[in-house]
Amino acid sequence: MSKITPIAAAVAAASLFLVAGQGTAQQAPAATQGAAPAKPAATAPDATGVKRPEPLKKRAPDKAAPQTEVLIMDSQGIRMAPANVSAQMLAEYLILESAGFDLSQATQEGTTGKDRLVQDDIQKLCSLGKGQQLDPKAAQKVSEIATASIKYPEGGIKLGDWKKGRDLAWSGFGFRTAHNPDDHSKQQPGANCYNCHQLATDRTGGTIGPPLTSYGKLRGNSEEILKYTYGVIYNAHAFFPCTNMPRMGARNILTQEQIADVMAYLFDPASPVNTSAMSGMSGM
Amino acid sequence: MLKKVLLSLPIALAVTGAIAAQAPEDVLDRLVTKAGNPAYLTQSPQNRMMMPDNPAYMVADDGEKLFKEKRGPKNASLEECDFGEGPGVIKGAYVELPRYFPDTGKVMDLESRLIYCMKTLQGFTDNDQQIKKRHGNDSDMMKLQTYIAMQSNGMPWNPPLSHPLEKAMRDAGEVMFYRRAGKMDFACSTCHAATGLRIRASVLPNKDVPEEWTKAISWPAFRVGQDNVRSSQHRLLECLWQMRYPNIKPGSDASIALISFWTDAARGQPAILPDMKR
Ligand code: HEC
Ligand code: HEC
Repeated sequence: MSKITPIAAAVAAASLFLVAGQGTAQQAPAATQGAAPAKPAATAPDATGVKRPEPLKKRAPDKAAPQTEVLIMDSQGIRMAPANVSAQMLAEYLILESAGFDLSQATQEGTTGKDRLVQDDIQKLCSLGKGQQLDPKAAQKVSEIATASIKYPEGGIKLGDWKKGRDLAWSGFGFRTAHNPDDHSKQQPGANCYNCHQLATDRTGGTIGPPLTSYGKLRGNSEEILKYTYGVIYNAHAFFPCTNMPRMGARNILTQEQIADVMAYLFDPASPVNTSAMSGMSGM
Repeated sequence: MLKKVLLSLPIALAVTGAIAAQAPEDVLDRLVTKAGNPAYLTQSPQNRMMMPDNPAYMVADDGEKLFKEKRGPKNASLEECDFGEGPGVIKGAYVELPRYFPDTGKVMDLESRLIYCMKTLQGFTDNDQQIKKRHGNDSDMMKLQTYIAMQSNGMPWNPPLSHPLEKAMRDAGEVMFYRRAGKMDFACSTCHAATGLRIRASVLPNKDVPEEWTKAISWPAFRVGQDNVRSSQHRLLECLWQMRYPNIKPGSDASIALISFWTDAARGQPAILPDMKR
């Protein structure tokens, strides 16, 4: 988000207020005088070096807030910066600059909270607002990025152990951080499949994704379907751009071996996915 | 338990009149009918049955005492606290939060406003247990929040958007709601933008169906699975945890932007307070 940088730098450690029109703007400083101490001045890295942000007039005006200006409060006092701060920019500021999230929190993969929150290309392209359609060009791009990310196993796709796959499919453990981080040394991260899919019928699955009951029985086990299924698990955006399904392989949630185990759970004739009765299921 | 409710109900009736006359379960029942029995609202008949005996009432009783008691280094009660409707007015205040407060220059939610008053009026500091302990039936925070929020039961959500900062926070919250990030690429909208979807057995509320969404945002609610009354900030934390996001600072502008948006999404629908959730 290079576009946000001038503003973000200027408001680092400062309170940010948006005020429309001059009238409100003049009242605001008086009204807020007593408030400054309430905001801990903790994270003021270079408040002295803070520069007035450059006017962002070149940006397309934001329809939602046509006359918005930024009121900046920091050690240099209260001041206005003419700018059309879009909801988008304010959201990025709140997430990545305002110390709202613990950006330095350690993650299980050895990165930080910030790395979890900064969007990659697919996440950016797929953050569609209400009623917003994915345009065909973006869909194409998402699909290309996703296809390029898929690493197929050397020596072809082989099915692993369906019992291990069942445990993985069931488990929603792993990579959670926030107030109660998952300890991967105590338990391996799971694959979350049941959160979104009905698989075997011996336990209740979610409905964010389609039911996968009798998957192997219905689809067979041709080279083609194995490759497709591996690809979906690895990075489903290759086939369904901007799908809600997490990128299990591309985001290092599952290893190739774990994907093979989950695939065994989907394809092995002995797996409960294929031996469960289909009654009551809506099918695929 | 039951006795306690029977005792407190007539008092509530006498004090707050017509609106309090509808119990939270009545508010819920009417929403269920109006919205045509959506799965989210009807998923737990047991909870619906237990609502008249909601343990949250006991927590709220304690909250009322704490609210009126002179406490803290300044030996003051919270009866002068301005939740947006003027000093001391708590009836209907919660359904009009978050809102902009000129005395702080910030948009504040119930929790952050309550803490502001506990600091300014009563002299508590961030290090005092009264403020520090945010969660659990036995925390002052949850007792007070439950009591204050209950005074808006049955009233329509109506967070003001007339101040530019209120509007800006709500709009930023909307962007955040649809913004995908984290290890699993989740946005709030992954799970809360369609009706009747489930994560395993849990039916997910749809932000775009206000009759569902008002129940979703009616906190404090007693979480049966957790045996505790929980706040909006706590629910937010739990969803962010599922989303594999880092920790969020309670009361941060980021949290309040999301809560501003989620409250606006239930605009006009009656609050169910206290609610009972899974
Ligand atoms: C957050 C929800 C979510 C999780 C978790 C999830 N999926 Fe999916 N999955 C979906 C959605 C949604 C689709 C439908 C694709 C689309 O149209 O976007 C899907 C599609 C699929 C398909 C393609 C179905 C078809 O008809 O071809 C397969 C196979 C699949 N998922 C397997 C899995 C497996 C195995 C796991 C666990 C490793 C898993 N999914 C985890 C949401 C999820
Ligand atoms: C991976 C799915 C998922 C995501 C993403 C998610 N939530 Fe939730 N949310 C849930 C589940 C599950 C529940 C509990 C629903 C139940 O018990 O019926 C829930 C509950 C809620 C509730 C209260 C409803 C209740 O009955 O407990 C609110 C409000 C809420 N979420 C808001 C959000 C917001 C805001 C975000 C984004 C910051 C978010 N959620 C992201 C899964 C999710």
